Amino acid sequence: MSPAIASRLLIAPAGILAAGLVFAAIAPGFLSLGNAGSIAGQGWVLVLLATGQMFALAARGFDISVGAIAALAGTLAAMAANSFGLVGLLAAPLVGFACGTLNGWLVGRLALQPIVATLGSLVALKGVALLVSDDGQAVPLVDAGHATSLAFDPVLGLPPLAWLALACVLEAQFLLSHATLGKRILMLGANPEAVGLVGADAGALQIRAYQLCGLFAGLAGALMTARAGAGLPTEGAGMELQAIAAAIIGGTALSGGVANAIAVTAGAFFVQVVLTGLNLTGVSPFLAQVTVGLVILGSGLMDTALRSFLARNRQPKDISP
Amino acid sequence: MSSFPLGDRGPSSMPAILRPPAILIVTALLFGLAALAVPRFGTLGNIENVLRIAAILGIVACGQAIVVILAGIEFSFGASAALASVVIVMALPATGVVGAFLLGGLLIVAIGMVNGLLVARFSVPPVIATLGMLMIASGLAAWLAGGLPIDAPPSDTFSWPARGRVLGIPVPILIAAAAFTLLHVLLARSRLGRGWYLVGANATAARLAGLSVPRLVFSGYAVAGLFCALGAVILTSRVASGQPMLAPNLPFETIAACAVGGLPLGGGRGNVLQVVCGVLIVAMLNNIVVLLNLPTAYQLILLGTLVVTAVLLQRDWAFLGQAVRLLTNGRRG
Repeated sequence: MSPAIASRLLIAPAGILAAGLVFAAIAPGFLSLGNAGSIAGQGWVLVLLATGQMFALAARGFDISVGAIAALAGTLAAMAANSFGLVGLLAAPLVGFACGTLNGWLVGRLALQPIVATLGSLVALKGVALLVSDDGQAVPLVDAGHATSLAFDPVLGLPPLAWLALACVLEAQFLLSHATLGKRILMLGANPEAVGLVGADAGALQIRAYQLCGLFAGLAGALMTARAGAGLPTEGAGMELQAIAAAIIGGTALSGGVANAIAVTAGAFFVQVVLTGLNLTGVSPFLAQVTVGLVILGSGLMDTALRSFLARNRQPKDISP
Repeated sequence: MSSFPLGDRGPSSMPAILRPPAILIVTALLFGLAALAVPRFGTLGNIENVLRIAAILGIVACGQAIVVILAGIEFSFGASAALASVVIVMALPATGVVGAFLLGGLLIVAIGMVNGLLVARFSVPPVIATLGMLMIASGLAAWLAGGLPIDAPPSDTFSWPARGRVLGIPVPILIAAAAFTLLHVLLARSRLGRGWYLVGANATAARLAGLSVPRLVFSGYAVAGLFCALGAVILTSRVASGQPMLAPNLPFETIAACAVGGLPLGGGRGNVLQVVCGVLIVAMLNNIVVLLNLPTAYQLILLGTLVVTAVLLQRDWAFLGQAVRLLTNGRRG
């Protein structure tokens, strides 16, 4: 791993450390064990969304529909769970996968710009979620007790669903670093022409990347439903932005080709630490939203700065002043 | 497959004679069909209603069109309009109606300038910059208003931009006409507009030709903010309150209007007639959903589908043939 990439991946952990120190100084109770536990339990929806987003970014794509996918998948999963028991929550990743397939097909086969394709599905899926839920009514889980206990009661330190999310993240990282599919997706992001030279179908790889993105968004939707004890069709607006910020802070390059699921997880927890810390200092949740906006802008600036830094360092030494 | 059969994408080669009639015909067809098939659509009252809604959408869409021509995209319009409406209502007692409208409008222009600065000087991707600004502006709006709408004291001056009439014509429609004229002059007659087309079509070429790309991009986002400011004043006047959730779908609707009108989201092309027609189509479809008593969720589904199909169609009118090939081969030609 080149030092340039390593420095990208270290930004999120450094950010967590810095934010932790700041909030430890200004927020009473931030450093308590209970608070650490609450952060460790809460961040996983964002982790899953950000990991999905990471696949889209890695393939030089972009998915602004992940929040809408999560909301729709979570709502449909709540309905399925009410008919078939808690196993029905597994419908969420399936719905997410289907939505991701649609996005992937629009980008990979019809060659739409990622932003156009996913903007279209963002708006349309929002509409579908309202439609199936009688204009945005929450769908309460019949078996909400079991679902919330899976999402909240720690077993060996983390709630069972958080362990599941962690397993998914590790699986994602394994896919990127060891599986052909993951390596090809990274290659597609780094150099789209090279993919054709090794005989892979770039369009098919894009479809796979968006499918993975949708799948993880669906998992996030299932987790949201389990945590709330209800399917929330209008939840998830704004989550896509946090997910994009978390993925970029987690070292994913907006220009594609660089991605690491563990670092993205750290990026998501950075956002969660900031949100929890602000909450503890008694800042209005609306100002916390402003802060997330600033974090998004900051992540964009960071990505640009890193890119121009790398470009400068790639030039021969003798032209440098 | 040639995606751009029209050669170079500069404003001069815009098929000004060929393309606009096509979109005009589509708009007229939709109007005719709706008037025949949808009850109450063709009544004078309803048409005025559609035009009023299209007016606000159209004014803001003028701003979106500039950004789209620059190969960018603007998501912060709805949130900055909401922030402006809150600021306008809060400033009202201190500044009077005109001062408050000016203040709110300047705020949106300032937000546009910040977006322009981020995109032009710091090369932040437009999506990231404007989405971040969306969160900041809507967070600030909700914080200032305490999360709830705040009512404006009713007054004739305050409601004039939305409800007034001049020579029998509603003020929003007049302002929209003025906005479209201004956009036309900017795009077709000014050096600024010519620069925007060149930057949108090929930023590198524009830079090599000696244009100051950052300055053009910055001015584009600032002028876009100006159009959004006009729309926000009318919106605030219409709801007579400061609403932290004023128009969350405004960016989507304006992007859809541009896409439906036939502006390539890759930038470099587009004219006023396309924007007008795109706006009318989006406004008519929204109105049809309401008249047919369908849940408003259908508006969203329609809007999303519209964006995707419109982009597919305008990219390549031979798309239908392509779809057939896709079905027969399973691969894109």
